Amino acid sequence: MPKSKDTLDKLFGSRLRVKLLKFLFRNYPGNFNASELSHRIQESFEETKKELDFLRKLGLLKKLKN
Amino acid sequence: MKKKHHSRKQAKKHTRTDRINYSLDPEFEFFGELKGLILKSSPAEKYKMVKKILGLGRVKLAVTSGIFMAENNGLDLYDTVADLFIVGDDISKDKLRPFLRALEAEVGKEIKFTLMDKDEFQYRYGMFDRFIRVLLEGPHEKIINKLGI
Repeated sequence: MPKSKDTLDKLFGSRLRVKLLKFLFRNYPGNFNASELSHRIQESFEETKKELDFLRKLGLLKKLKN
Repeated sequence: MKKKHHSRKQAKKHTRTDRINYSLDPEFEFFGELKGLILKSSPAEKYKMVKKILGLGRVKLAVTSGIFMAENNGLDLYDTVADLFIVGDDISKDKLRPFLRALEAEVGKEIKFTLMDKDEFQYRYGMFDRFIRVLLEGPHEKIINKLGI
């Protein structure tokens, strides 16, 4: 049987995307800023920010201004 | 010199974006379906975890609950006596600490963890201890069970 963890990464086209979604669903309904998120999932700020923008445009994330 | 300038620009960018928070939008079309899919713990991950726990010492029992039962929708993930409960002897504290730290990084939050040696567990199990009862009567999974309970 193939490793099912990799299956989701491949299906979603991004390992970081899956990691980010996992974090957000596990901490739902929490809200976090980009640098906090990149620190928590241990990925670079730039890559994390790129995913956040992508998911926001898709409608899965919403922005909240402090 | 050029590098210095770059990092200053970067820092400025961080402070600006730090004022914006992101949150999942429950109005998203496939919110529920996606949640179930993302939080479903895969057999591969479970297998990896079992292997690591067995390497900690003479482990007799390992029970997961709470955060690890996330695929059960509607369940309150945060209301559990322990996310991970391990019964065993000669558990290496030097291995346990990095194991828990790595697990917390993966899960993205603090894990409620309890460790007991076999004698204490059997004593408490036999007297219907509240902690053991609540854990084993609630939604849980015995990922390692050498005690036949």
